[in-house]
Amino acid sequence: MWELIQSNRRKSLVLFISMGVTLLLLGYFFGSAYYPDGGGFIGIFFAFVIWGILSLISYFSGSKILLAVSGAKEVTKEVHPQLFNIVEEMKISASLPAMPKVYIINEAAPNAFATGIKPENSAVAVTAGLLARLNRDELQGVVAHEVSHIVNRDVMFMTFSGIMLGSIVLISEVFLRSLWLGGGRYSSKSSKSSGQGQMIIMIVAIVFAILAPILAQLLYFAISRKREYLADASAVRYTRYPEGLASALEKISDSSIDLKTANKVTAPMYIVNPLKPKGQKLTNLSSTHPPISERVRILRSMSGGANYVDYQNAFNKIKRSKSPIIPSSGLADQTPIGLKEASITPVALGLNKQTKRDTGDIMMKVNNYSFINCSCGLKIKIPPDYKKTELFCPRCGTKHSLI
Amino acid sequence: MNCPVCKEPLVVLELEQVEVDYCTSCAGVWLDSGELELILETDEDRNRLVNLFKEATDVNEKSYDCPICGKQMRKYEIGEKGKAVVDKCRKNHGIWFDKGELQKIVEFGSVNKENKIINLLKNMFWKSMPLAENKISLNIDGGNK
Repeated sequence: MWELIQSNRRKSLVLFISMGVTLLLLGYFFGSAYYPDGGGFIGIFFAFVIWGILSLISYFSGSKILLAVSGAKEVTKEVHPQLFNIVEEMKISASLPAMPKVYIINEAAPNAFATGIKPENSAVAVTAGLLARLNRDELQGVVAHEVSHIVNRDVMFMTFSGIMLGSIVLISEVFLRSLWLGGGRYSSKSSKSSGQGQMIIMIVAIVFAILAPILAQLLYFAISRKREYLADASAVRYTRYPEGLASALEKISDSSIDLKTANKVTAPMYIVNPLKPKGQKLTNLSSTHPPISERVRILRSMSGGANYVDYQNAFNKIKRSKSPIIPSSGLADQTPIGLKEASITPVALGLNKQTKRDTGDIMMKVNNYSFINCSCGLKIKIPPDYKKTELFCPRCGTKHSLI
Repeated sequence: MNCPVCKEPLVVLELEQVEVDYCTSCAGVWLDSGELELILETDEDRNRLVNLFKEATDVNEKSYDCPICGKQMRKYEIGEKGKAVVDKCRKNHGIWFDKGELQKIVEFGSVNKENKIINLLKNMFWKSMPLAENKISLNIDGGNK
């Protein structure tokens, strides 16, 4: 297993270093655009410092920031025992050194992500919509996928390359804006001193400032796409039940609700890209995830076993290519792992609704809502910022006091 | 979440495991897209809802902003003669019913029995709707004395 991580690491490292080079080049050009004599190295230094500071912040509190930005709330075992139970199971079958923290995001859109640069200190976050829609097998598939991201150190790479992308975007923005603001003063100075050579460097810097963020984004997405297949393969290994993840992926992509808290940098963290228009089939350079339909087809065509070899075979069959997704060390382990039979019949929708309500109620309780059960059968849930001291039930007109 | 009309916090009402957001000041109702998805289980149900909505062209009503994304919502007519006008978020976050519109739709519901949303709103507000106003005003009077 360790070698598997190593190999995955090496591949991503190449992409990661390309991003780093882009960042340093960016610094070099900007530096020389301002100070032709040795300014390039000052530029590199500043680019490096900015990246370093951002990386340190993300290393120590990246998870916290990500969870806060997505509006995730940590929950205890009492809140959702089944989810906890599944995370525990997956922790054991993936041999994680510590139990990941469990977070619920109060959103109707079904999705999930994992954070944690070190497996010892990780977290799994799922939305309330996900809990409402999936049955146990499907939820297990999703949690297994997220746990594999932690085990395969995907979270670490996505965090650091995300930060690098952020630095590149930041530096380009600052440079382009400074040209806008200080352009007049600068150009008069340069025309006196150096002339044409300086002009060329300036143009190169501007072109680079425009291209670098795009290039970095493509690299970021390429890193991201590669890792989704491996996480799917590992998930099957942990659950021995590809159909669970397959139908979960389908359900997630079928939903037409948008995830309100997702943005460009956090999008690759989720199990299904929350930003792409639905129904998109083609893999293109700018997508963070492989197409769902393809991931589902690979999972469904797995037969015979839940090993990495079986996933690779299914992958080759569907993609009609032999590009290795699984590192050779993973394929070498051919100990047969049998597939599991479907354990439960899909949950009836009435129950499903109830699960969604229960999760919603939990989220509201966490957020300090108060509850009134009116005798007419209507449940009234009052937000903490509600100021009035009494209200009338809109169904039967009964007056309720709120103090 | 705040009322798009009077900006006061909305309370949540739950009946038969479906939630709507309700403004206690203006009695308007917000139906979230997540709830719509729960109510409308089949494609048939969804089509029925879509067929009910017609984009309103010449409506002079004030337009409101979606309580979720803050973008201006679009007006839609419901029913044959464009009796009720509702506001629907352009990004599909949900639908807003003003009090008057709600009443029209609930009345309309006796004609269009198969529509689940109308049935839900009817069940939630029908019993009280003509009465509620009386009752509330009575109660307020009582409080003043």
